[in-house]
Amino acid sequence: MSSQPSARRAVAPESVAAEPLAHRLRRWLADWLPALPLLLVAFGMLILPVVALLAQSFQSDDGGLTLANWVATLASHNDQRAIGTSLAVGALCATIALLAGAPIAWFVSRMLPVRRATWLAVLNVAANFGGIGLAFAYVATLGAYGMVTLALNALSVPFGPPAPGSLGGLVIAYEYTNIPLFVLLTIPAMGILRPEWWEAAQTASATRLQFWRAIGLPILAPFLAAGWMLIFTWSIGLYGLPFALGAGSASSRVRLITLEIGDILQASISGQGRAAVMAMILLLIGAVSLVTYRELLRRALRWF
Amino acid sequence: MVLAGRIGRWLLFTALAVYMLLPVLAVALYAFATRWTAHVLPDGYTWEYWRAALDDQRLFAVVARTLGLAAAVTVLDVLLVVPAVYWQWVRNPRIRVLLELAAAIPFVLPFVVIAFGLLTLSGQIVPFLQGTVWLLGLGHAAIAFPFLYWAVDGAMAAANVPRLNEAAQTCGAAPLDILWRVVVPNIGPGIATGGMLVFATSFGEFALVQILVGNRFETISLYSLDLLSGTNANFGKLAVITCFTFVIVFAISAAAVHWNRGQATRLLHGGQPIEGRG
Repeated sequence: MSSQPSARRAVAPESVAAEPLAHRLRRWLADWLPALPLLLVAFGMLILPVVALLAQSFQSDDGGLTLANWVATLASHNDQRAIGTSLAVGALCATIALLAGAPIAWFVSRMLPVRRATWLAVLNVAANFGGIGLAFAYVATLGAYGMVTLALNALSVPFGPPAPGSLGGLVIAYEYTNIPLFVLLTIPAMGILRPEWWEAAQTASATRLQFWRAIGLPILAPFLAAGWMLIFTWSIGLYGLPFALGAGSASSRVRLITLEIGDILQASISGQGRAAVMAMILLLIGAVSLVTYRELLRRALRWF
Repeated sequence: MVLAGRIGRWLLFTALAVYMLLPVLAVALYAFATRWTAHVLPDGYTWEYWRAALDDQRLFAVVARTLGLAAAVTVLDVLLVVPAVYWQWVRNPRIRVLLELAAAIPFVLPFVVIAFGLLTLSGQIVPFLQGTVWLLGLGHAAIAFPFLYWAVDGAMAAANVPRLNEAAQTCGAAPLDILWRVVVPNIGPGIATGGMLVFATSFGEFALVQILVGNRFETISLYSLDLLSGTNANFGKLAVITCFTFVIVFAISAAAVHWNRGQATRLLHGGQPIEGRG
């Protein structure tokens, strides 16, 4: 009589706990299973590597915890220069892409359909062309025996093209994909400016310049800034293109963060702590610009 | 004023056309040039590089490897992404939060950093995978999946998948059946567009290939670099390969634009197009 309730008491909590656990597990699987493979790949291939690098940036050669990598990198003249050059290349490329790309995007968005489709196709191909092929295209066009160089020299114009790996060379090569990218990214935003607004401005006897200053640019500004931000980040992160451009002439090659990381990885096992610090700096730049980009777009879309 | 504007526009687009087309022309001429060091145009023309390229066993293997890897990565990404996006639409919206976060990472992190991270991590936990094409393939699948994710997500939104799902469930269909027979046929263009971008990403990728496998798995990128700056540099052959790359890029872009109903697509990470909802 007394043993029965105690037995029931002994079983009851277990079955109450066990049954929902199996149940909960099954429901959890039903909620997540189809997405699990992708989440695992993303976690293992994208998130864990970042964690590993973060840990490595604070690790000394014998495995202890240290700030030495960060101090050494941030104090090193060469590394400072690499960081500065990367930021400068990104800003310069993004600004040029903005100045050239914004008017192009505007005009393309107002073209008749067939013409627009043709330009979009050209821009699309150019935007997707990159890497080593683009580096060779640069050499074939503006190298020492490039087509443009030879043409100008044949016209006896004294023209020395910028070396492929130099700052000027990088910017010219980067813009080949950056301008089309900027145009493709901002064309959808151009549809926001309604033709009626220009008509209304004309009715109020505004000039074209006044229209752009008072209405057009303020409305488009956040979208253009967001485009600038994307090109900035994209340019800083490029690796294959500058590597190939600078591969021919080590002397004129500029220092970039991405190239420094690549060099360290190619050269040796030591110094990887420094490379990890630079990787984290790139992560920081990317994270800041992504947050800025999202915020810009949020503000831009608030009115629509 | 109007005339000045017109001339300005004409100049802008002429400059753009020259900038876009001149390098392509230069590469194409290099592929046929015998000697080209003194004049505006090559001294003579030849098919030699094309014939040599066709006979080049190494080039053949390189092209096969690159195309095979890109195709495998594309198939893998389709298999990974489509069920996940379907489930985030019909069952568990929390999947979206995680996947959007994951899809932003290849934008925040340059590929060279991802490659470096994978190298470090694989050395620590799966050393047997180091230097293998498996690690490279998984890496490519991870960095390229956002393109497919956004394309498929957009296509499912456009097709109103929750509604389709409800209707199919009412008819008693199981989730797998619904996915295969109802959802996939309705999002074909999205899969095709996104798949093209995944293919293109893997096809032209350099950082992961160089850092993770190097010459153990030579792709077009690595071979091109060798021909550009290695000890046996050969611009003629490189021009032929670049022409081939260009044709592939052109075909991919054309196909993506076609499937995307004339809309532009882009190969920029994190670059959900800036869209006005106006």
